Amino acid sequence: MNKPICDNPRLLRKRDLGHNYFSYTFAPCQAAGKCRPGQFVHIKLPTEAVFFRRAFSVASVDPAKRELEIIFKIFGRGTKLLSELPKGAEMNILGPLGSKFTMPRRNHEAVLVAGGVGFPPLMYLAEQMIRKGYEPGRIRFFYGARSKDDIIERSRMKKLGVDLTIVTEDGSIGRRGLVTEPVESFLDQHGSSVRLYSCGPEPMLKAVNDLALRRSIRGQLSLEAPMPCGYGVCLGCVVPLTDGGHARVCREGPVFEIGEVAL
Amino acid sequence: MSKTLKVTLAGVEFDNPIMTASGCCGYGEELSDIFPLTRLGGLVTKSITLNPRLGHPPPRTAETASGMLNAIGLANVGVDAFIRDKIPFLAGRKTRIIVNVAGGSVDEYVEVCRRLNDVDGFDMIELNISCPNVDRGGIQFGSDPKLTEKVVREVKKVFSRPLIVKLSPSVTDITVIAGAAEAGGADVLSMINSVVGTAVDIHTRRPRLTNNKGGLTGPAIKPIALAMVAAVYEQCRLPIIGIGGIACWQDVVEFMLCGASAVQVGTALFVDPETPVKITRGLKEYLRTQKLNSLNDLVGKLEKY
Repeated sequence: MNKPICDNPRLLRKRDLGHNYFSYTFAPCQAAGKCRPGQFVHIKLPTEAVFFRRAFSVASVDPAKRELEIIFKIFGRGTKLLSELPKGAEMNILGPLGSKFTMPRRNHEAVLVAGGVGFPPLMYLAEQMIRKGYEPGRIRFFYGARSKDDIIERSRMKKLGVDLTIVTEDGSIGRRGLVTEPVESFLDQHGSSVRLYSCGPEPMLKAVNDLALRRSIRGQLSLEAPMPCGYGVCLGCVVPLTDGGHARVCREGPVFEIGEVAL
Repeated sequence: MSKTLKVTLAGVEFDNPIMTASGCCGYGEELSDIFPLTRLGGLVTKSITLNPRLGHPPPRTAETASGMLNAIGLANVGVDAFIRDKIPFLAGRKTRIIVNVAGGSVDEYVEVCRRLNDVDGFDMIELNISCPNVDRGGIQFGSDPKLTEKVVREVKKVFSRPLIVKLSPSVTDITVIAGAAEAGGADVLSMINSVVGTAVDIHTRRPRLTNNKGGLTGPAIKPIALAMVAAVYEQCRLPIIGIGGIACWQDVVEFMLCGASAVQVGTALFVDPETPVKITRGLKEYLRTQKLNSLNDLVGKLEKY
């Protein structure tokens, strides 16, 4: 495992993606070259108004320029304060933290299932898979959200060239319904040569977990949990495992094997 | 004499007065990824109990104003796995190792300490008689002077290295409990453990912790801790390790002036894991500018009105 680094990069680029979504790029960030898809960074906001750091999965990196990107949506006080920071603001960033996605074999169909704010780490995974020579058209990227406003970075995804299926609950863009519906039909057609990767709200993760287990399909889920420390010492972010134990989302996770966590 | 951060507690010399507080760096492995543990004066482990404990179901932490609540529930590997799997790593670090022990009965405290007495690789035990998050034991011992004296006395019979007793702030008069620990044979007092508290989710109308309540820690409790350290320092001859919301070197100086000989850093490790390193750097600079030779010159030098 890569050891985490504590670093003070600046906010180099701030992109407003609309509807409370933001892309922040930090540099120079020593962790940039070490963060793999699925891993996260823990950010100390330059304010006393919130006590803990905030955890964000990595959305992309440019190791040569030592740039690291996160994408977030305003949810609570921390993300609201983060969204108000000006370009150039210095922030203490701890990372890389947590476990990473393992790349699929070439002969596997990769099925990526993103729900809402679970999108950024899967976009990073798709990018890395393509960089490693995986054919973009064979990356089946299912992207679900409540409505059109929650579907971000469409042009970026188009440029990547992945096989993108957008699903919204209200049908304002893409298919109407739940993202797990087209995923289920795809799995029924392609069977066990599939590797599943998913990140999103817990009900969706649970549905993906169940779909996969019923078909003996392997894959990984990335979980989210409130995290005081982020590096494994406070034991605040544990989730129950199917074997009866607990695992830390920040250390054994956030990426777990399908079937590992009692969802 | 060269300027030194060294402190001595019950005959045990520490390179500097900064220790990690129990429950805030596990058994040391994760923190050692961030800085070499030799930079610490000492490391206090997560509480060890006789049997392994899973702890409470999540959520078991909640953010609060200038602090946090936790109700982890003494999750730990149990004393035998601790001795087998964790001590070897800790024993190899060039820092003082303090094993924190918790129990649900006098017998459990005694049995854990007896087993630990047979192994090398650590320097002291800290007796947790003040955990607010378990049904049996913990705070129940720390809020009863008779039980405090008894458990300390019984542990001293089976454990031959120095014993620290960690006190709870959730008592009517902490000096009474401190006196009971001293009467039982404690060598050092550490204080304070977390303050009992809770937080409520108004949408679900449920507590934010599955344990319904937890322990408040962080800068929010520092004023409480300082007042209690000052009170115990006046009443009790034992050296004191100050704990409660310490996040910077200035906090350490405050605690020392109130009577602490050393300190533990807890919740601040979650916010900034490099806090102990930053504190020792700051303290060295402070000694230099104040023309002090040793931090010991500060202990109890509060000039009261």
